[in-house]
Amino acid sequence: MSVIEVENLSKEFRVFSRREGVGGAFRDLFQREYRTLKAVDEISFSVEKGELLGYIGPNGAGKSTSIKMLTGILKPTGGKMEVLGYHPFRDRKAYTKHIGVVFGQRTQLWWDIAVIESFSLLSRIYEIPKDEYKERLGKLTEILDLKELLHTPVRKLSLGQRLRCDLASSLIHDPKVLFLDEPTIGLDAVAKDSMRSFLRTINRDFGVTIILTTHDLKEIEELCRRIIVIDHGHIIYDGDLKNIRKLPGMCKQVSVEFVAAAPLEELSSKFTTGVKFTQESERSVVVDYDPEKISTVELVKNVLTGYEIADLKITEPDIEEIVMKIYRDGVA
Amino acid sequence: MKAFRLYSAYFAQFLKSRLAYKGDFIASLIGTAFIGAGGLLFIVFLIDGESVKAIKGWTRSEVLFIYGYSLLATAIFSTLAPNLYNFADRYIIQGEFDRVLLRPLNSLCQVLFESFNLESLANIFVGLGVVLYAGGQLGITLSVIDVVWLLVSALSGAVILLSVFVFLCSLSFHWEDKVGIAPPFYNMINFGRYPLPIFNNLIQFVLSWVVPFGFVAFYPATHFLGREEFRAYCYGTPLMALACLMVASVGWQFGVSRYSSTGN
Repeated sequence: MSVIEVENLSKEFRVFSRREGVGGAFRDLFQREYRTLKAVDEISFSVEKGELLGYIGPNGAGKSTSIKMLTGILKPTGGKMEVLGYHPFRDRKAYTKHIGVVFGQRTQLWWDIAVIESFSLLSRIYEIPKDEYKERLGKLTEILDLKELLHTPVRKLSLGQRLRCDLASSLIHDPKVLFLDEPTIGLDAVAKDSMRSFLRTINRDFGVTIILTTHDLKEIEELCRRIIVIDHGHIIYDGDLKNIRKLPGMCKQVSVEFVAAAPLEELSSKFTTGVKFTQESERSVVVDYDPEKISTVELVKNVLTGYEIADLKITEPDIEEIVMKIYRDGVA
Repeated sequence: MKAFRLYSAYFAQFLKSRLAYKGDFIASLIGTAFIGAGGLLFIVFLIDGESVKAIKGWTRSEVLFIYGYSLLATAIFSTLAPNLYNFADRYIIQGEFDRVLLRPLNSLCQVLFESFNLESLANIFVGLGVVLYAGGQLGITLSVIDVVWLLVSALSGAVILLSVFVFLCSLSFHWEDKVGIAPPFYNMINFGRYPLPIFNNLIQFVLSWVVPFGFVAFYPATHFLGREEFRAYCYGTPLMALACLMVASVGWQFGVSRYSSTGN
């Protein structure tokens, strides 16, 4: 059963382009120049119940804009969307009861009062029965380790502590879908790790569907099976994270260390297309090859015959590299 | 009822954070009362009863009565208004409106109930004092109906003020300027503290039909002053409040649909 259905969803902004300098600012007062910016351009996808989807793309790609449409903050300029059977913008008041949202960049909690007070006000906003609230708060306090933080004003929390509290506040009303926009931005390695295992738990054990945007691709690799890559407002990849390695044009790499000096030219002449040799040191060579054009077995066999080899290593491309390549060149 | 309990909780929340910085509260309470009373001195010295006995037929006591009356509605308005005053900066430019839209509640009510200017309540007492004093001078006695009218018209006045500024705030959704065009309108509130006939026709028209601050105090106060010529306007006050509220909420809804949030 799909939880999120998006069809040809678009958002255009009218951007006011400011002129330079004091004179320009003065002219801006009387005559403004606008241009239309397509932040999200006819994207379509659907998300099944219980998925943990990685939603990635470079800065300014349209990630946040799409998340803001899906959470009911922005009104789309075109297309259709439905989450949990609601239209996020039109049915905002009824809809937001069923979703949780964390923006890593800013807190949703009240700045000056203790965390527990924020939670208790939220429990009234979401009309959570007292017993249920107590139980959920207890559970969240335990797994997010909030005990020490509950009575501290939000402004006195560290970034990591604040994000844990924000995450708890987004889950207090038992949402079915959780939107996380860079939830680990600025966290240290330990805090990131515990955040990840928490996300895994609520996804697996509580069946919460999660949409996650982040720039940390390690995080995506650890958490998500499926990713959507968006750039310039278009979806450029939607599918299994594993398959992204098999996309055409994604090179694999073999490093070979020879016993004697590396026979670079001789090797180059053995292959025609899809293989590139780079000399690393006197005795070692790195071979980049396209597995679509030549199989690993064939390549290694050709390299091995006739030479004495000291060491051989086959490496899959790093997810970071692949995604960088996709950002740069698109999907071939 | 549910909404009332919820927004009381919002208020309690505000009170807690306000008391986190309790030092300056008393001082600003007194300060606000002085500002409210400041305009009184102006009237008292201008219409001193000797060289100037009345302005265009309005006596000192009548002018004072209307002034005091206006303090009631403006005190209620100012108590709720601090977030309207810096709406564009706090909610649009800094993007706090995102958070508002993520909660399953009316967005305008959240904005109004996230911050209060409690000091302004001091002016209710200043206003009541002036109304009672000037009323005594004019020989006005209050029946139960009069008291009810006083309440209804003060609330209507506050609704009119709120509606005007909510409407002006809703323009920030389209323009994204830090200050917006509201400041001159805050100054215009002061026009509504005096008898309208002392102004020229254009201003009277504007204050009756465009930015209807004439209904905040002057028109409803004529109920007590026995000025028959304004009767229709006077009792039309609650209707005007309703009309303003409708225009403001349509403007607000439209503005929200144009909200574009911040970059990230």
